[in-house]
Amino acid sequence: MLIGVVFVITVGAFYLIHLLPGDPAAVILGTGDSPANRAKLYRQLGLNKPIIEQYFVWIKNVIRGNLGTSFISETSVWSTIKAALPIDVEMIIISQILAFAFAIPTAMRSARKPDGILDRILSAGSFTLLSVPSFVLIVVLVLVVAIKLGVPHTGPSSYVSLSADWIGNLESMALPSITLAIGSYVVYYRVLRSDLIATLQEEYITMARSKGISSRRIMWRHAFRPSTVALLGTAGVNIGGLLAGGFIVQFILAIPGLGYQLIAAIGRSDYLVVQGIVLVVSVGVILINFAFDFATNLVDPRISRE
Amino acid sequence: MSDDTLLVVKDLHTTFDTPRGPLAAVGGVSFELGQNETLGIVGESGSGKTVLSRTIMGLQPRKNVEVTGSVRLNGFEVVGASEKEKRTIWGLEVAMVFQDPMTSLNPVLRVGKQIDEILRVRLGMSKADAKARAIELLELVGIPSPTERYRVYPGELSGGMRQRVVIATALAGSPKLLMADEPTTGLDVTIQAQILNLLDGLKTKMQMSVVLVTHDLGVVATRTSRIIVMYAGRIVETGSTRDVFAHHRMPYTRALLEGSPKVSNPSHTRLLAIPGRPPNLLDLPKGCAFAPRCAFATDQCREERPELEAADEPGHTFACWNPLPVTEGVPA
Amino acid sequence: MSNPNFLNELVEEASVHTQPLRKRRLGFLFWLCVGWIALNILGAIFANLLPLINPLFQNYNVVNAGPSLHHLLGTDDLGRDIFSRIVFGSRVSIEVSLGAMLIGFGIGAPLGMLAAYRRGTFDAVLSTVMYVFLAFPAIIATIAVLSFWTPRSLLKIIVVVGIAAIPLVYRVIRGATLNFATRDFVVAAKVQGATDRRILMKELLPNVAPIGVSFLLVGIATVVTLEGALAFLGLSVNPPTPSWGNMINESLANLQVNPWLAIFPSAAMCLFLLSLNFIGDRLRSHYDISEIKL
Repeated sequence: MLIGVVFVITVGAFYLIHLLPGDPAAVILGTGDSPANRAKLYRQLGLNKPIIEQYFVWIKNVIRGNLGTSFISETSVWSTIKAALPIDVEMIIISQILAFAFAIPTAMRSARKPDGILDRILSAGSFTLLSVPSFVLIVVLVLVVAIKLGVPHTGPSSYVSLSADWIGNLESMALPSITLAIGSYVVYYRVLRSDLIATLQEEYITMARSKGISSRRIMWRHAFRPSTVALLGTAGVNIGGLLAGGFIVQFILAIPGLGYQLIAAIGRSDYLVVQGIVLVVSVGVILINFAFDFATNLVDPRISRE
Repeated sequence: MSDDTLLVVKDLHTTFDTPRGPLAAVGGVSFELGQNETLGIVGESGSGKTVLSRTIMGLQPRKNVEVTGSVRLNGFEVVGASEKEKRTIWGLEVAMVFQDPMTSLNPVLRVGKQIDEILRVRLGMSKADAKARAIELLELVGIPSPTERYRVYPGELSGGMRQRVVIATALAGSPKLLMADEPTTGLDVTIQAQILNLLDGLKTKMQMSVVLVTHDLGVVATRTSRIIVMYAGRIVETGSTRDVFAHHRMPYTRALLEGSPKVSNPSHTRLLAIPGRPPNLLDLPKGCAFAPRCAFATDQCREERPELEAADEPGHTFACWNPLPVTEGVPA
Repeated sequence: MSNPNFLNELVEEASVHTQPLRKRRLGFLFWLCVGWIALNILGAIFANLLPLINPLFQNYNVVNAGPSLHHLLGTDDLGRDIFSRIVFGSRVSIEVSLGAMLIGFGIGAPLGMLAAYRRGTFDAVLSTVMYVFLAFPAIIATIAVLSFWTPRSLLKIIVVVGIAAIPLVYRVIRGATLNFATRDFVVAAKVQGATDRRILMKELLPNVAPIGVSFLLVGIATVVTLEGALAFLGLSVNPPTPSWGNMINESLANLQVNPWLAIFPSAAMCLFLLSLNFIGDRLRSHYDISEIKL
């Protein structure tokens, strides 16, 4: 069924791109553009065949593992993706580690003392941050960090790859990762807090208390475990969204991840790159959802039994 | 107070601070419990018996509750103790068996781990030792194939099995006092008898005192040595089980006895329900709390609240201005 | 922590004898937010009539000036008054969000209700089509279409976003209607001989409406954010037309020199979004609607 979804998505992507007025031929030929040259180019690239045929040619290649070669940049689509994907992965990993590292302890603290000072500040703050779009967050962060504090490698067009210089890499990834982390933190904090508060009302928590177990152990071992179900579910959706939608952050800060490449490809009608990225992203989102579903089953035996 | 006394409760009050005003769930309860004794606390819903059992243990909610009086368990004063101090007795000196086995076990943790948690964390036993002891306990509470059952999740067990696990968990720390709060209410009738018999056997084997809290007089008839009858947060009658059953004086006790089905009754005997509703604890009537529903209420009953007075038998007290005559009684 | 369940039971019994609680009030903050939204909308509608400096007028004498009496929020790098640009810019955000929601709800909501009510092949076919559209990342489609459908205009943006919203509205409204359509009071109405139209309007609509309103607010907030994001890709309205997104985007180039250009439009957008979210949240808890899954 999921393969069907991926299939549909690729069809959609394919048709969409081909329906648009943009024309790769114009981009490739540049000044040498003329109707005759265009026709010749089409024949060369196989673009003169009917659309359905073009699609099947592409799908056949994909199944064989060949995503094609961009007619515009002359580089293989796969190599573009291969270069861009690790950046997305790194960004997601760093941002999620940060988000969880802050969300879990603060949510626990708030659940133990609901309506305490910390809880009120964080709840109001997280609600406010929910209303702040990612690009505003970036602008503010760039303003504060890059300009007022003068930290290098953090403004736009500042990406440094991991292999080149790992300190520079971390510095350049800091801003986008922090932006994504803040967005994720807000969601995780709210979900975990409300779930923990509900779990702490359960009778088995009183029972654990009656065994003389410390509050810390009760929180981590008895309350957190059932609450991780909701958290994992949210994380799955959230991370899937980051993969598909983190491109605003990438684009603004000129980080050459998948999102950035996708936008650029759309701009120059680079069909194959667009299709390839859409395919990879869709598959990625589905895999992530799978992984999180699986993890949820591990944590909560009730679900697998149902 | 003899050396034999395990638990001394003196003038215990538990008051909740609710949005609608203070609610006195327990209003002045005093009693003593010795070693290896079994006490039954009987009353309807809202009589305060559950709050009493939790307050005795110190398990009342931390917020918006005020507890005054004294609860001495083996010399340890529970009232006013901090959570940290109370943890020293929880599980090791006193443990509780909760009412609903469906909700008192953590559904995402394996059963064995919940039983031996206290052994590993509080008593510092090694994983292997704790596991062995847990399997022993499973066997003790009558669970077949204990080694396999160690690894299951609560959801895989039936209600009766789960309650046995709860009991095993409570016993793990070898407490001297076991509080059983309606331990069989959520279970099938046939299982109820099994569980109660199990508790009977265990208390002798492990040399524990048991406080059995229930609304069902049938449960306490043969299994307790003493009974406390509660109404609206106060003790209205207390004494040895035999005395309370055979020589009760307070009309409420009579009403409870008549309301519970007995095997000796001819079939289709009508159960006598107590007329009226349970009292509103936020707004208790001036005199005796039971007066509005009592067939024998006098004006004094409605004006003044009766204190506990001694009956003929030793250790038997009741609180009533117009008690039942001495010679009457319903055979237990 | 111990569970207060038994406490609840005690209070429950006690409460049998007392009066029910008053309905919670919506609160001062709630109305403050409503007022703010109303102010923005009025400002957008009547922008021409207000005594504002021409938002397109470039005054090279006061480039990148900070706030002053004449220029309440300062000027941008071309000497244009920020305050008036923000007010005129609100037009874009409001028109796009309201227009897109009009399309999305205008088409998606009736279809959703009908599909949930009728079920059968109609529902099966329509829902499959909608779910196919939902599977595709709408943002990418929006970006792609807007990249090429030139020359860009506000109307085109509204249309594209609106169409993208249709499947989302459809899913939510259909789900909400399904929830109610199987309930007894609908069956009862049917048995009494009510026409389909009457059932839809009188029985189902009042129940689905709160969820619809809640989703509408979320939708407006999402579209306003989307406009901002599109602006960063150069896909919002063409400059020099002011829009909040455009302004924030333009501010990036001059952050060091003129932080005000970044701060004020961002604040305007965030306050608008915050008010919307707060109103939605309050309404949800007041009418006891559980969170809608997007």
